[in-house]
Amino acid sequence: MADQAPGVRIDGLTVVYKTPAGELPAVRGISLTLEPGTITGIVGESGSGKSTLALSLLNAVQPPGRIAAGSVEIDGLGDVVGFAGEQLRKARGAHIGYVFQAAQNSLNPLKTVGKQLLDLGRSHGVADLRGLVREARELLGRMGLDGARVLDSHQHELSGGMRQRVGIMLALVLNAHLVVLDEPTTALDMITQANILKIVREVHAERGLTTLVITHDIGVVAEVADRLAVMYGGRLVEQGPTREVLGSPRHPYTRGLIRAIPRLVGDIDEARALPGRPPTLVTVPKEGCVFRERCELRMDVCDTVDPSVVADGSRIVACHAVTVKEHAS
Amino acid sequence: MMIIIRRLAGHLARGFVMILVVATISFFIINNIPGDPMAARYEKLIEGGMAPEAAAQAVKVLYGFQPTGTLWQQYSDFMGGLLHFDLGVSVSRPGTPVLDVLTEAAKWTVLPVLVGTLLSFLVGVVLGVYAAIKRTGKLGDALAISGSLLHGIPQYVLALLLVVIFATLIPILPADGPVDILFDPGFNAGYIGSLVEHAVLPVVTYALSAYGGWVLAMKSSVVTVLGDDFILAAELRGMKRSIVFRYIARNAILPLFTILALSLGLLLGGAVFIEKIFNYPGLGLLLIDSVNDRDYALMGGAFLLITASIIVANIVADLFYTVIDPRVRSGEDAT
Repeated sequence: MADQAPGVRIDGLTVVYKTPAGELPAVRGISLTLEPGTITGIVGESGSGKSTLALSLLNAVQPPGRIAAGSVEIDGLGDVVGFAGEQLRKARGAHIGYVFQAAQNSLNPLKTVGKQLLDLGRSHGVADLRGLVREARELLGRMGLDGARVLDSHQHELSGGMRQRVGIMLALVLNAHLVVLDEPTTALDMITQANILKIVREVHAERGLTTLVITHDIGVVAEVADRLAVMYGGRLVEQGPTREVLGSPRHPYTRGLIRAIPRLVGDIDEARALPGRPPTLVTVPKEGCVFRERCELRMDVCDTVDPSVVADGSRIVACHAVTVKEHAS
Repeated sequence: MMIIIRRLAGHLARGFVMILVVATISFFIINNIPGDPMAARYEKLIEGGMAPEAAAQAVKVLYGFQPTGTLWQQYSDFMGGLLHFDLGVSVSRPGTPVLDVLTEAAKWTVLPVLVGTLLSFLVGVVLGVYAAIKRTGKLGDALAISGSLLHGIPQYVLALLLVVIFATLIPILPADGPVDILFDPGFNAGYIGSLVEHAVLPVVTYALSAYGGWVLAMKSSVVTVLGDDFILAAELRGMKRSIVFRYIARNAILPLFTILALSLGLLLGGAVFIEKIFNYPGLGLLLIDSVNDRDYALMGGAFLLITASIIVANIVADLFYTVIDPRVRSGEDAT
């Protein structure tokens, strides 16, 4: 595989979970392109399907879930949805790095970081394990840690911010150029959050990566992402360049989200919470717009017809009201 | 290493105190048991038609002493002897030191119990891992059911069942004591072969009756670890299956070592039913006999042995954790 940032094309991806009520979609018909060398942010509430989407990039949706339709085409690899067994295992880690949420314990508590690094190297047939350790130490040093000491530590001896940097190191050390970060700053304090985001940005630029950041925090996306995709009820409702989407949101959900952020200056009451609650796997509507229950622009057509995804330059929106308005003008 | 030595020293000191306390308690309890072994023997001789003076004389000759000291004196004698590993002389087997009786019986308990427990631990743990990984399949169900079933059958039923099947219906294995008396005790093929042959059924009974517990404990432990984030993380990093398997097994087996150590300590108390059924003159039978015979000294010795073995097992388990679990190790660092 070429030593450069790969592009990723997700097309018509649907992921279903087996429940007592039958197979229900957590992610439905999502199409999303990650341009080589960009940082894409995916924002959504809990249960919007964003983590499921992230796992799909590694074809790692956990049972009882499964990818029911669609493809995830990664440059230099192919469609990972068709991968299985050894082929899939080797793609994970070596080509696609996955960084867990810092609060999750992503390290074996009984082994030092260094030993787990060696396990990783052996799993991927790295001949020069000494070189791998050197690389890991450099990466950790690059992120402001004492590499030798961290490699000699167990998980319980590291702070949240340190663990997160170890996670990033493990995702990158095999020279993966596609990196997925799942809630990289959740459960970290503000200063550590800022540090981690800075590291993500810098490492992304230095190593020439294609990066996908999953978060529920619009602030994180605003900080790092070139492009922003908003998920709701398993659907992508809006995407586009981060500045444009945040500056002039089109989808009523995106608008509601942004309006709900309290400002540093001005009246606190200006921030208005979005009424209602997000749908769950069971309550998400089978047909029509998934957002209609909470939408202020609701029309009759929303109850019956899925809004189609309409592209307008670099902006993509799936909403009847927005489409109608644009046709009228 | 320093940490381990410091821990060991602390444990040994605490263990020593505990043993003294238990020895004290069992001394007073035993002393308060109604009845008197010598009086019992005396009455027996009288019933046998002996004259009272002759009977009293015979009892004196038999034991070589008459307890005359105060309770306090007896206690300090007992504790003093204890410090020299002198547990006194058996009452029911006049002239034999308690320690000798115990070591003779321990021989027939330790080996079968050790082999049986370790065997069931190994098999149970390995199958427990499979039961957890295949828990949605038929194999997993079968293993879990076998675990529950064997765990539920009482040990004596299992032992009798094995005797009926392998010693009576298909008489291929002996169930009549620990060894064939035809062979000379010693290091010769015939004697050792006979030992092994006789040990098969008791060992299998121990192993089968403990197996269920291991399977079920390991299964639930593995299921817990499988849900841990670091297992998914290892998979998403493309770790080899064999390495992930090792991560799972090593993390899941940790809590089982405590149970293993405790059951080894407890089993030294002997499994009365198994020893009775297979006619093994082990510690369990000895304890029962000593109670029936009102053999105070032997009773006290047997209690003490069981106590000591449990305390030692605990110490071993705790030290073992310092070696295998880094979290325990550094926990000590912090204090």
